Amino acid sequence: MIRFGNKDFARYPFLKEALAYVTRNDFRLEDLDNPDYRHLIRKAEKKIQNFVFDGKIEYFIDYEKTHDTIVQEEVIVFLISLLIIRSISIEPVTKKYALNESMRFEKYLIADLNNVNQNDKTVRDILYKIFNELFGTEILLERNIYNFFKIRIDDYLDHTIAYQEREWNLINRTLDKGFVYLDGTEIVRLFRNELNLLIIDRIKKMNPERIPSTIASISNSFKLQWEKLYPSIRITNMHSITPPCIDHIYELIKKGENLPHPARVLLATFLIYTNKSFDEMLNLFKRLPDYNEQITRYQLEHLAGKRGLSKRYFVPSCEKVKLNNLCFETKICQGITNPSQLVNRKKYETL
Amino acid sequence: MNGQTIPPIDTSDNNSKNHDLTSKSDENMKENGNGSTRLWLENMFKKYYFKSNSNIETDSFFSEREFGFKLFDGKIRRHLTFRDHKELFANIMRYVPSDIYCSSARYQNPTANMEDKGWKGSDLIFDIDGKDLNLACAKVHNLTHCKQCNGFTNGILSKCSICESSLVEMIDLPCKKCISALKVEVNKLVTILLDDFGIKKDTLYIYFSGNNGFHIKVVDDVFFNSSSQKRRAYIQYLQGKDFIIDNLGFKINKINNEVTILPNKTLFNSGWRARILHELGLKTRNHKLDERSFNKIIHFNNTHETTLYHYISEKISNFAVRIDPSVTMDVHRIFRLSGTINSKSGLIKTVCNNIQTFDPFVDACVVGDSITKVNSKVSLKLSLNNRRFEIKVGINRVPEFVAVYLVLKHLGDYIDA
Ligand code: SF4
Ligand SMILES: [Zn+2]
Ligand SMILES: [Zn+2]
Repeated sequence: MIRFGNKDFARYPFLKEALAYVTRNDFRLEDLDNPDYRHLIRKAEKKIQNFVFDGKIEYFIDYEKTHDTIVQEEVIVFLISLLIIRSISIEPVTKKYALNESMRFEKYLIADLNNVNQNDKTVRDILYKIFNELFGTEILLERNIYNFFKIRIDDYLDHTIAYQEREWNLINRTLDKGFVYLDGTEIVRLFRNELNLLIIDRIKKMNPERIPSTIASISNSFKLQWEKLYPSIRITNMHSITPPCIDHIYELIKKGENLPHPARVLLATFLIYTNKSFDEMLNLFKRLPDYNEQITRYQLEHLAGKRGLSKRYFVPSCEKVKLNNLCFETKICQGITNPSQLVNRKKYETL
Repeated sequence: MNGQTIPPIDTSDNNSKNHDLTSKSDENMKENGNGSTRLWLENMFKKYYFKSNSNIETDSFFSEREFGFKLFDGKIRRHLTFRDHKELFANIMRYVPSDIYCSSARYQNPTANMEDKGWKGSDLIFDIDGKDLNLACAKVHNLTHCKQCNGFTNGILSKCSICESSLVEMIDLPCKKCISALKVEVNKLVTILLDDFGIKKDTLYIYFSGNNGFHIKVVDDVFFNSSSQKRRAYIQYLQGKDFIIDNLGFKINKINNEVTILPNKTLFNSGWRARILHELGLKTRNHKLDERSFNKIIHFNNTHETTLYHYISEKISNFAVRIDPSVTMDVHRIFRLSGTINSKSGLIKTVCNNIQTFDPFVDACVVGDSITKVNSKVSLKLSLNNRRFEIKVGINRVPEFVAVYLVLKHLGDYIDA
């Protein structure tokens, strides 16, 4: 077992050893109305505002306090945040928060993994604990040679990134005696999805007997803020039917799902084709958890052929959409080869 | 007994991979002539199995495997199971199959149709086949047989040189060179499996396929459970496909061949990287490219006839193993059972305990040697069982093991004494 009393747990409040810091002091979520917690609730609230609404991953851990206090406070802030998100109970909010919260942990993990050879046994043990206990994967350290970690080939291939990106294909990894060699940054990248799911899972498991009124009022105001920002999607065109593949993307966006690149291209080219304004399009894209206005603007202008030498991109063919697993063909798709054809078809039929 | 879905039998040593096996076999029977040829062949097979029953490979998971028989009338029976070796033997003697197959997978219910079998896992199999090597000698010694006019032509042709029909099949007659080239591939594969994949030597089995290839089998729990997708990743690795040169610690601009050193990226020096750096004569210190090696790479294009990019690509293709990807990825396939006769040659699928000294024309050749008459359609030189034979067109008096080889290769007809 790892010995506690170390400030490093403050960075990983999801570990059960970290949680032990607060449970041994009889901390209960139901007591959050107590004014003693006001500053921690403030901190959680600020974090959510940053992560979910302002798109900033800004968060500071105050290491000036005593170790015990740092860990306790960080764990409580973590729990409060989960509780607020849970009681907001809007899927896209949950997703966006989880994405940014896990990115915060990614940063800590990378920094800690890259410092492992300072012989800091505790940090090393915490890291192994995270991967071993939470993700069921044993990460071994290749001692004495730089910061190399190794994981079993079979474990490595459990991660979809190993098939998705050429750089991550087995052929482009270093293999030796049954292990894949990775540096700290790569290890963390490999587990991105798991970390994200872990946060979502923790949010879902937040089920206190009753939500303290302080928390309820905060989550209510967040809820209002969100609903004002993103009124429910209504992209309708009186004269046309929406292709099922596009409908499916709308569904994903409603759920706050992150869209794979081909889905973004399909949606954008389709919206451009149907003459949607830039603002209408941005309105949709800003619901994506990793939304960045500048990048999205650039990409949309690029696809619309409004940038430099770029040509205007046409809506990908059904065949291409199928290849990307984005086709959800129904009866109305009969005889068409491009989703855009559905737009016109209906128009003529109603004439 | 045949199920609805019939996954492909391992036809890796077949010339026409995607042919319908049933119809092909029917043709074979036509070509092999009359009922007396078939009877004689069945007797030869029976004789072998009776004598060499113990050569047939069985493991402790026997009853969880699916067996397949191909019969001399061309019919295929899949989804068979046998309780034990004895029951298998009894059925072999009863049906006298021309080919016997066994699944690399284990199932909860091996006799069920594919969907209901309950896949437990599958041994990891690699297939190295002579025809994938495109050897120069094969283009000379292999024959093209025309199904239209029944003529034979030397070499591998897509049309009959006599009647121009395109109904032709290739008859492979592997030579010693073919076998050495196959062994080179086997050694390349085994090296990477041991060094990079950490596979233990005693879990790895090498087999001569019985015709013109080798099968490599890995019996290991981790690999046993690997999905098709994972197996595809192993294949890509073994074939050196999509390797990114930046992994070597430098970048090559493909347009002007300029080399940029990437000093900041430190990669562990092993696997493909180590192999290629070694070929390039480049040293690493603490896993980073040695300073002195920088000059060597940057000036490579001046000191060599070829560009660095081409040189590396060539090295990669030298190390790449020529394996048939579909065989490794198909986790439901049935493979020729070791210790049984391959009806494409009359040779035995044989486990090779020492691949270096293994000689298929001696070690996999076991059918008896009483003298038999064969009417040969071609003249050729053969070396089997440490003896050399000169076959001429017309009647030849040869030992049984030669007769079986000629008849199964469709090169001659058996003549009733
Ligand atoms: S058939 Fe074409 S339009 Fe219909 S869902 Fe598939 S990709 Fe979209
Ligand atoms: Zn012909
Ligand atoms: Zn040859």
